[in-house]
Amino acid sequence: MYLLWLRAAAVLYSAASVAVFPAVLYGLSRWRKICVHLAGLAVFFHFVSMVEMLVQAHRWMPVGVREVESLLGLAVAALFFLVWWLYEAISLGIFALPATFFLVFVPSLGPDRYTFPSQGVRVSWLVAHIAALLISYVALCFSMLASVLYLIQERRIKSKPSALKASHWMPLDWLPPLDTLERIAHATLEFGFPCMTVGLVIGSVLAQETPLGASYFLDPKVIASFVSWVVYVFLLLVRRSAGLRGRRAAYLSGAVFAVMIAVWAANLLSHVHRFGAQ
Amino acid sequence: MTLAIIGVNYKTAPIEVRERIAISREELPETTRALAAVPGVSECMIVSTCNRVELLAAVDSQDIDLTKFLERHFDLDPALLAPHIYVQRDQEAVRHLFRVAASLDSMVVGEPQILGQVKEAFAVARASGTVAGQLEHLLQSAFAAAKKVRSETEIGSNSVSIASVAVELARKIFGSLAGRTVFLVGAGKMSELAARHLVQQGAGAILVTNRTVARARSMAEPFHGRVIPFEGIYEAASEADIVISSTGAPHPIFRREHGVAFMRRRRNRPMFFIDIAVPRDVDPAMNKLEGIFVYDIDDLQQVAAAHMAERSREAGDAEALIAAEVARFHQRQLTVNVAPAIVALQAQAEEIRQAELKRMQSRLGSLSAEQAAAVEALTRGLVNKFLHPPMQALKQAAREGDSARLDALCDTWDLPASADPEANSAFPTTGPENQAKSESSPMKEVSQESHQ
Repeated sequence: MYLLWLRAAAVLYSAASVAVFPAVLYGLSRWRKICVHLAGLAVFFHFVSMVEMLVQAHRWMPVGVREVESLLGLAVAALFFLVWWLYEAISLGIFALPATFFLVFVPSLGPDRYTFPSQGVRVSWLVAHIAALLISYVALCFSMLASVLYLIQERRIKSKPSALKASHWMPLDWLPPLDTLERIAHATLEFGFPCMTVGLVIGSVLAQETPLGASYFLDPKVIASFVSWVVYVFLLLVRRSAGLRGRRAAYLSGAVFAVMIAVWAANLLSHVHRFGAQ
Repeated sequence: MTLAIIGVNYKTAPIEVRERIAISREELPETTRALAAVPGVSECMIVSTCNRVELLAAVDSQDIDLTKFLERHFDLDPALLAPHIYVQRDQEAVRHLFRVAASLDSMVVGEPQILGQVKEAFAVARASGTVAGQLEHLLQSAFAAAKKVRSETEIGSNSVSIASVAVELARKIFGSLAGRTVFLVGAGKMSELAARHLVQQGAGAILVTNRTVARARSMAEPFHGRVIPFEGIYEAASEADIVISSTGAPHPIFRREHGVAFMRRRRNRPMFFIDIAVPRDVDPAMNKLEGIFVYDIDDLQQVAAAHMAERSREAGDAEALIAAEVARFHQRQLTVNVAPAIVALQAQAEEIRQAELKRMQSRLGSLSAEQAAAVEALTRGLVNKFLHPPMQALKQAAREGDSARLDALCDTWDLPASADPEANSAFPTTGPENQAKSESSPMKEVSQESHQ
């Protein structure tokens, strides 16, 4: 039954992804309402599907690639709604809703044929570890997106209309104001930080209990994770102490995002953080 | 019945003439009633704004000259008014009214106030009892057309004045302007106007400085602003989110080094400089600093011009929409005018049905309630089915303006309709005869082309 709800959510996400374009690019309020309602329904079905799937499996954590994708999709959609509710910035939906649809599409095709064989991933505390890190990744993605949009909007305003023909000036009119983008970028960074910290702490405690013990922390993946956390702390400190904002803050957010991608990719080099291989 | 619009607007008359016949909000009900009292005027309303005074009336004949009313009411020399006044009749008047309501005839095409002003004039006329079915229908159609133009085109979406462009740019930077501090450097008219716009949008504290303190004080007063001594300009500027500068200084007073200091003091919070002084008060190099945005008068004018060009492009689409709405209104009018014939046809048929039922009553004997209802439904159904083709034929002939066919249909069914749907229309299309009358009129007939 959970697949039915997930498919319904996928269809609704796809419709919301279509509706968000006229809503944002042409500022049509009717389409905006349609988009928000469709996306809201999609999130509801998606949540029902996730809960039903995990209850049926008598576990509280995703143990397959498709399940993780679906959870990531739910986190993206939920954060999009949070940003929309707080800042009325539906514009980010242009990126967030299609991304959610693509994350949900494959899981909605059928159940996971391949699940991680490791018993390690079935330890219940890992739920918090995975969920917290996924949420922090999504928050970083939103921060990065807001930073990129900030750079585009800043460039538009600074370059003045004399350098741009009217037809070039108009199409990006849907971009939110600079101040809103700055606040979204900052708030999502601050939101992601405790999630990443909690995720890493839980992961470290669990790693201590494995037979590898302290040597677990010499793994490239684990080292990269802590490096990303340090860069994250540095970014937040600089933002707070020096009042860093705007272009330079956007570049720093980009740096943290790049480190995050590196951490993700480091799974390929890891010997201990490869649950599919065990 | 003829529809007539006479009036003057900013294109045909200078302000000296317009102000002579301008009607205040308080005088409007009385003047509207006075117009309604003119012999031959069955319905009327008056639109009076700073850019136009127009009398709209449904009159019994084309010979009724509303210019005389204006001359008499305002005690004007006919020679003063005649060169500036225009007259629109029937279909042209409908089109003119639709264009006015849709803001296509406004000085700033697409400005939103005119629709509200027409609605207000209509409400006054309604309250004065000078509008009934025909103008009511016409005005409702005009409002619907204006709404359609606004929702289906981008005609009113971009700012076209310097002050509103400045506000729009400020919103792109700061989002909400609530609580933002505005600093007026120099006391020019345009900076005052821009500040007024910003305050209307929720801007918070207003700081004002000028070399003449008294002038600064008088400018700060309406905004409940704080006067800053001119020597404290740089300290005050670092507090402000938006700086509007319009001094007569021969050299820039805000230079790059000031910008760097502002950003340091403000911990990189953005600043928007609106420089409307010539020579410029703000060094253009400031725009290169992160967090500082500088727009001079040329930049603002270019944005306004780009928006204006955009509106002009949209106006083309809006004109096409209005043309379609006018045609639709005309079609509806024609169909409405055949209504008496249709009503008569239905009445005749009903009379026959009732007579036949009465005649057959003795033969049918006593019927139960269900049987009586069945007979009633049967006869009604038959009559409706028989009436459907002639009713459709009447409507179609009216829509197509086919008077010969209408004649034949009315003769066949002995109906009391006029043979000429155009002549019978509430606001017929202006035909050659009407044109001739207009041309022979001493008044100036303003063609729509001259309005473009």
